[in-house]
Amino acid sequence: MIATAAMACTLSGEWTLASLFKALSTRFGGDSAALEEDAILRLVDAARTGDRAAGQRLYRQHVDHVFRTVRGMLRSDVDAEEVTQDAMLTVLTSLHRYSPRPGTRFVAWVTTIAVNTARRRFRRRRPTLFDPNDLPRIVDDAADPERDADGTRQRSALLSALARLDEREREIISLRYGSELDATEIARVLALEPANVRKILERARVRLGASIEALLSPDGEVL
Amino acid sequence: MNDPELTGTWTALDPTAPQRRRIDARVRGWLDANAISLAGEWFRLLKINPIARLGFAIVAAALVLLATPLSWMALAAM
Repeated sequence: MIATAAMACTLSGEWTLASLFKALSTRFGGDSAALEEDAILRLVDAARTGDRAAGQRLYRQHVDHVFRTVRGMLRSDVDAEEVTQDAMLTVLTSLHRYSPRPGTRFVAWVTTIAVNTARRRFRRRRPTLFDPNDLPRIVDDAADPERDADGTRQRSALLSALARLDEREREIISLRYGSELDATEIARVLALEPANVRKILERARVRLGASIEALLSPDGEVL
Repeated sequence: MNDPELTGTWTALDPTAPQRRRIDARVRGWLDANAISLAGEWFRLLKINPIARLGFAIVAAALVLLATPLSWMALAAM
């Protein structure tokens, strides 16, 4: 994060004290702390009028959510990276089309764009977003020096457990825990009935939790 | 596993620092490359599209030819 902010300062050619403070506050969580919906909507309004800093804050508020949501739905980190960048670009260049709806937060609109981007991009390439019989590529992730051993085990278990769900369950549960949407918001994003979403969510949550616990148990598959 | 536990587990899917840097760099690169002024857009259009260049030249010439008699007529009517 600090590198990102620092690079932004370098690109603009200005190393002001304010830029340095901004970079440091970003590094220490100042900008990554979740904002209230009112603050998000104020950023949206500011970004629409061309305020680049507001656009950057909106980006930082949502990019990780988008990545972890689509990562739950897709096959690999590379796919998730590509979909995240495309979705965030669409969000930032389509803000003029956003209109707040009662009972639905801005993050739901962002998530709708991310889901549509993932579907459009990968349905063309293969029949399903994720082959349930194909275990996720966890070897590369496990080798990632950025993650500690516990984090790697947890990640591998989660991805393996997700691979055992069907596509609809995986989408719904990714929206619930990746973007932290409620059942009503998920229903709007996926054009489903809220009652149906609640039913699928409850079933998927039980199956996913049981799978993760089994995989992480001493005799589980994830070492 | 309950709701908060699963929410906590999901953070394991967060991008790593290198992944996040790659995404940031690509998004910033695209936005910077497309942050062109209106005048810049016109010049770019003229540079890359000869048909548009011809059209632009015709419109400009017509405006110059029409502007003079129109201004005379406007002055005469006043």
